[in-house]
Amino acid sequence: MRILFAGDEQPYSAYALKEAAKLAMNTWADMTLLGIQPGGGGAAAVDPALNLALTRYRESFLNAWEGEGSPYAMANWQYEWIPLKEGVLEEKLVCRGSKKDFKVRLRQGNVAAGILAEAREEGADLIVLGCSRGGGSQWAGAPGVPQKVAADADCSVLLVKEEQPITRILACLDQTHVSQSSLEILNQMVTLHGAQLEVIGLNPEGGLKKEVYTRLIEVGDYYQERNIKVTTRLTEIADFESFISQETQQDLLALWMGKKSLLQRFFPRDWVGRFVAKSQTSVMVMR
Amino acid sequence: MAQNKLRVLILDDEPIVCKRLKPSLEKLGFEVDTFTRSFEAMQAVEQARYDIIVTDLKMEGMDGMRFLQEAKKLHPETEVIVITGFATMETAKESFKKGVFDFIAKPFNLNEIQKVVLRAADKIKGAAG
Repeated sequence: MRILFAGDEQPYSAYALKEAAKLAMNTWADMTLLGIQPGGGGAAAVDPALNLALTRYRESFLNAWEGEGSPYAMANWQYEWIPLKEGVLEEKLVCRGSKKDFKVRLRQGNVAAGILAEAREEGADLIVLGCSRGGGSQWAGAPGVPQKVAADADCSVLLVKEEQPITRILACLDQTHVSQSSLEILNQMVTLHGAQLEVIGLNPEGGLKKEVYTRLIEVGDYYQERNIKVTTRLTEIADFESFISQETQQDLLALWMGKKSLLQRFFPRDWVGRFVAKSQTSVMVMR
Repeated sequence: MAQNKLRVLILDDEPIVCKRLKPSLEKLGFEVDTFTRSFEAMQAVEQARYDIIVTDLKMEGMDGMRFLQEAKKLHPETEVIVITGFATMETAKESFKKGVFDFIAKPFNLNEIQKVVLRAADKIKGAAG
């Protein structure tokens, strides 16, 4: 498993880092901490505030491991060729994690595009980022970043809105394809938080949609077979927005997303962004 | 030629995992057997030596931790890679205490598991001289 944490210097990013660190401690995932500096490329100096934030995130992440046994403990020294600029490489002494990969990276340019590119190029299984709480769900100085990342990433995305215990995961399902990866990432979150799992089938208006019901049963069976306590229920898709704002107060809202999602047809314009903004608490978009 | 191939055993109660892993490792030149039940995998390990074992942890019957322990007892030189959908720090630490080569949480991409299996193969070949 590879986790990409993307952070800026705002407090919500520190909360998101804690969540990423907890997940990494459980899963021993390969880990990248990414900062994005808006603006052009080239050899521009690193923004001091972002530099400080990334340094703190690195220290905080590596210090989260008490005692010995961190898979990221720096142990493997070796010379590696590092690109300096186009056509020039320099041999440098590099220290790698003892068991798992740990990197801190900085990209320059568009924030959302940088996060998405890093996730794609590194083969991330999960992107973790923070955002401001409640309506808006913004990154400071870069509008729409969480929404764009959640909508356009190839992998699952966890948007952390605040520091709070997660006692229940509300996983919302339409008849869209449920990938193996999405089930697995949900397993890891349930395990991490010891949370109750509630799977909610989103039904289109005007009668029960067979595919939604079938998928709900399949997913319920999957978790029951693995001794995970799961409850299931159906809700009308038309009530979904009000459901999100009313019910998701102390929970993690998990949305299954597929290209043929009913939600996409029902809320055609930037529906992921709408739900992400509407939810008062953290959101995970699963792929 | 086939005699030089390293033998890999994959044990996961989810058939889709075996179905994904088998061709991706065969493509790299390994001889791969897959099992979805731990007792059948145990029988195979008792009858033949596998160079590398890739095993899930949470399974009905004999769980992956017990399986890897028994397999290591029979063939200490076998490299074991744990894959799990329900990872905890304790299971990771316990796995390494029991001598696993690596611990990988699900989801993972095929590239990741291929790299780990290749590293295990390098170690085996290095030890063999």
